[in-house]
Amino acid sequence: MTIEDTRPRSARYVGRSVQRVEDPRLLSGQGRYVDDITLPGMLHAAFVRSPHARARILNIDASDALALDGVVAVYTAADLAWLNPMVATGPMRDGILAHSRTPLATDVVRHVGDPVAVVLARSPYLAEDGRDLVDVEYEPLEPVLDPLAALEPDSPLVDEALGTNNISHLEESAGDVERAFAEADHVTRLRFHSGRSTAAPIECRGVVAKYEDRAGGRYTIWASTQMPHLLRMFVAPVLGVPEGRVTISSPDVGGAFGLKCTVFPEDVVIPAVAKLSGRPVKWIEDRWENLAAGVHSKDMICTMEIAAKADGTMTAFRGHFVTDSGAFSSIPFTPLVDSQCAGIYLTSCYDVRDVAYSVDNPLTNKCQIGAVRGVGWVPGQLAREVAIDQLARELGKDPVELRLQNMIGPDVYTTAFGQTYDGGSYAEALEKARDAVDYASFRERQAKAREEGRYIGVGFSPFVEPTGWATASAAAGGLPNGYYDTASVTVEPDGSVTVTTGLHSHGQGHETTLAQVTADELGVPMESVRVVFGDTDSSVFGMGTYASRSAVLGFGSIRESAGQVRDRLLRLAAILLEADPGDVELVDGVAGVKGVPGKTVPLQQIALFGYFGGTARPEDVQRDALTATSGYSPGETYANGCAAAVVEVDVETGLVEVEQLVAVEDCGVQLNPTIVKGQVAGAIANGIGVALLEDLVYEDNGEFVSGSLLHYLYPSTTEVPELDLLTIETPSAVSVGGVKGVGEAGTISAPAAIVNAIADALSPFGVVIDRTPVTPEYLRRKLRDAERTREAS
Amino acid sequence: MKPAQFDYLRPGSLAEAIEALGANPDSKVLAGGQSLIPMMNMRLARPSALVDIGRIDGLAGISANGSLRVGATTRQAEVLADATVQRRWPLITAALRHVGHPATRARGTFGGSIAHAEPAAELPAAMLALDAAFTVHRPGGTRTVAATDFFLGHYTTVLAEDELLGHVDVPALGGSHWAFAEVARRHGDYALTGVAVRLTPDADGVVTDARVALFAVSSRPVRSAAAERLLVGTRVGDAEAATAAGKVALDDIEVAEDSFVSATYRTEATAAIVRRALLEAATNPKGEN
Ligand SMILES: Cc1cc2nc3c(=O)[nH]c(=O)nc-3n(C[C@H](O)[C@H](O)[C@H](O)COP(=O)(O)OP(=O)(O)OC[C@H]3O[C@@H](n4cnc5c(N)ncnc54)[C@H](O)[C@@H]3O)c2cc1C
Repeated sequence: MTIEDTRPRSARYVGRSVQRVEDPRLLSGQGRYVDDITLPGMLHAAFVRSPHARARILNIDASDALALDGVVAVYTAADLAWLNPMVATGPMRDGILAHSRTPLATDVVRHVGDPVAVVLARSPYLAEDGRDLVDVEYEPLEPVLDPLAALEPDSPLVDEALGTNNISHLEESAGDVERAFAEADHVTRLRFHSGRSTAAPIECRGVVAKYEDRAGGRYTIWASTQMPHLLRMFVAPVLGVPEGRVTISSPDVGGAFGLKCTVFPEDVVIPAVAKLSGRPVKWIEDRWENLAAGVHSKDMICTMEIAAKADGTMTAFRGHFVTDSGAFSSIPFTPLVDSQCAGIYLTSCYDVRDVAYSVDNPLTNKCQIGAVRGVGWVPGQLAREVAIDQLARELGKDPVELRLQNMIGPDVYTTAFGQTYDGGSYAEALEKARDAVDYASFRERQAKAREEGRYIGVGFSPFVEPTGWATASAAAGGLPNGYYDTASVTVEPDGSVTVTTGLHSHGQGHETTLAQVTADELGVPMESVRVVFGDTDSSVFGMGTYASRSAVLGFGSIRESAGQVRDRLLRLAAILLEADPGDVELVDGVAGVKGVPGKTVPLQQIALFGYFGGTARPEDVQRDALTATSGYSPGETYANGCAAAVVEVDVETGLVEVEQLVAVEDCGVQLNPTIVKGQVAGAIANGIGVALLEDLVYEDNGEFVSGSLLHYLYPSTTEVPELDLLTIETPSAVSVGGVKGVGEAGTISAPAAIVNAIADALSPFGVVIDRTPVTPEYLRRKLRDAERTREAS
Repeated sequence: MKPAQFDYLRPGSLAEAIEALGANPDSKVLAGGQSLIPMMNMRLARPSALVDIGRIDGLAGISANGSLRVGATTRQAEVLADATVQRRWPLITAALRHVGHPATRARGTFGGSIAHAEPAAELPAAMLALDAAFTVHRPGGTRTVAATDFFLGHYTTVLAEDELLGHVDVPALGGSHWAFAEVARRHGDYALTGVAVRLTPDADGVVTDARVALFAVSSRPVRSAAAERLLVGTRVGDAEAATAAGKVALDDIEVAEDSFVSATYRTEATAAIVRRALLEAATNPKGEN
């Protein structure tokens, strides 16, 4: 890739499609993942897991397993009674019950895959042999599977200690919603079930732990996690030690998508049994475990109502969001990460001031709900955007025009619930998507196709994505918490640059983008910058990478710390150049005096002087040398954009083919357009999966039947069409550098565009699409029902 | 996802392989491993021993004189790429395109796909439509089994524990019409329903003999007697006959149902793809003799 230099010198790297520096390592097989870690004397763990949705454990007999040559130990909850419970307290707000669990099930198992015991053996093969020999006697209990029934007072309880299944009921309203609905010319109502999907990263989870019995005991834990410091913060108290006795190291991570920003029982059990056995222990999750016992996402029953005037003005939104929360409240984000996120951002890019939402979070005997790319924004977007198309059909309005008519302007805007958008291209993005699918001629093409018995349709889904998740945005999202993120920049004595950060990278390319930012701020070549993260011993504190936060937080924290170092470098250079610091500039690792060609000093020399220049150096440099550490707590940043889909539906087989997918993305100033495209494309593919393929299915008895990639289908290259990726750049009004995040846009926007396109294609049949994924089986049932209704009337 | 313990044997000859199978109760033939190894990793299969037939001389290869002979261990990718097969038995090529992915076809064998008898697999149905015959090696000799007699149910065939599939013979069928169709969630997935059709026309384009072989609809690949009966005497490409054949295709067949796909869906979608395949058969370039 050639790097064209069109920008002023002060922004040499930011904004350009610099090649990813991590790729040569990762693509040549030199990445080092948790499974690559081998320690002397290490044992391998396999978990005994519940085959039942809900059952009482009557007895655990491990004698056959222990008799097997190569099996070293079997531990159950009784052996781990010294651990403190794992507690999900959730955000710093009222209205959600704290939920506590033991890492291994004590007397009741609560979902298929719930861990019951752990077998340690000399090899992973022997560990699984031992696992198969552990005899657990269960008394099956009636499972709680229907989230709505779980809310009924007579429902059995998933966790009796809580006294209820509903761990959180929240409601909020702004304006006068009742009046708006009473006065509306038209009300549309949609009940939509967003399906159950998950992240399914290529690398499943994994934990390696060792315990050293010195200085009161020290745990070193390697985990495939997105948030080393947070994991340490949550694991240490369960292990009963101060954080200073725990090191978390997260080496290369082979995909995470939010799944790995949860704290799991295995994160605690593996270090605990390393202590008990006196041997290092490795556990590498297999695909079944990942699908059955990781986190699930987006399973939500949404009720969406829109009040409108006859001319198409939308006057009020009302939403009810019930998250089928699974058996445990996930740590740290809780199922509110889905339900609350669906509710509080309900108005999105529409100028609707009367708005209300309520959420319920019933526990059920399924896998826990946690944060996965797009979180509850995806079901919220589906409910709203599908309802808007329905409104347009009912009013006989064009869905694009109706949206444009109701859209907010491009400037800073505060929503009814108080989120303050930092400016965006809301209408422009929709117009751009509309033009990209050639909407003007589409209806004609559609009519012609219908004459040939072919059903094509188009759908739009403009979105706002909360990004740069930090203290301000979390508060605005009704999930208040403190977020602290720092970067430390050091210019080493030879002029090379080391940045450490508590952010993490697991595909996003932060080794590249953060180096770009650093190089620009310091005025050094990017090749001289190394970005270090992923280890609590070597990185400054930070809260990890999720919720599209790292571009904003990385840029902000590095600009501040690098700026401080740059200031010192300039003053040092001024001494060496015998010039005024104001006249010195640092470009490409060479300091010069403005307007005086030939008078230069290289960074190496400045740095050496900075460390060893004695009293000739400024006082602060004598004290701090060339290291600066700084935090950043940004204001609210919101990316926006629009997806548009063109699909063809085979009405006889129910298959949907995505013919065209347009994604217009406005994430403010782009650090690296190629990386932005990669993020958008990956998220769009994820969105295709959510819309059409991905489904975690439980049978009526709670049995889990989607435990392999034979049944949990995600899109492959043959299901993702050539994407039209378009960009608009509206710099953030609030963030350093005008940057916004970009990680989840496609997953938020694509599903609703696809569902709307399917509904549009099938409009002659009067079919209401009311769930994802839209499978062939489901579509045929809908078409069959519609046929029957037509015949009956 | 780690297999239980097993022994591994790699006989150098057919006779040794048969002996090894007989001597090791609950052993299994290992061919391309694309189905067996995943099943072992999930501990759905726990063979005592694997008898790897990958290095036995003469078990792999394609030869076409009058008829086509494909050795059991010939890789699916090799058959797919074979020009003679493409020209003379295009139905096989069409079916193979739907079998998994380039990576699985590079290892998966032609005979393995047949012996495995997954009800949703493409090749077994193609074999039914093509009147293939299978040569089975057994202690003391061989026997030949017609494709129609070979498949018994989910993952079960007439093969005894100490027998193995040696090669497949497909008669020369140039001049017959053919088509292949399936519904799959993603390209390369096992089908939700599928069909291989072959129609033998007389000089006037009237069907004298029909094969409508369905897969993924039942516990084994099946020929639809009802559809075949209906088609004989109709014109190739006749729209009404095609629709009617689709409608009756699953008559007298017990249609499978699972957590993901209902029997009703299978019945409806099968009617559609059978009709489409019959119409397509009229226009597909026929295989040469
Ligand atoms: C991702 C993926 C997708 C796939 N998609 C499809 C698909 O769409 N359609 C499809 O049809 N298949 C599909 N498959 C399966 C694949 O085609 C297998 O290759 C095939 O089913 C088995 O052939 P094999 O040579 O790999 O046999 P193996 O896996 O080695 O053996 C399979 C079974 O057959 C037995 N066996 C093998 N050869 C013989 C023999 N000569 N005599 C007696 N017994 C024998 C074995 O003992 C074993 O029980 C897929 C596989 C994967 C991994």
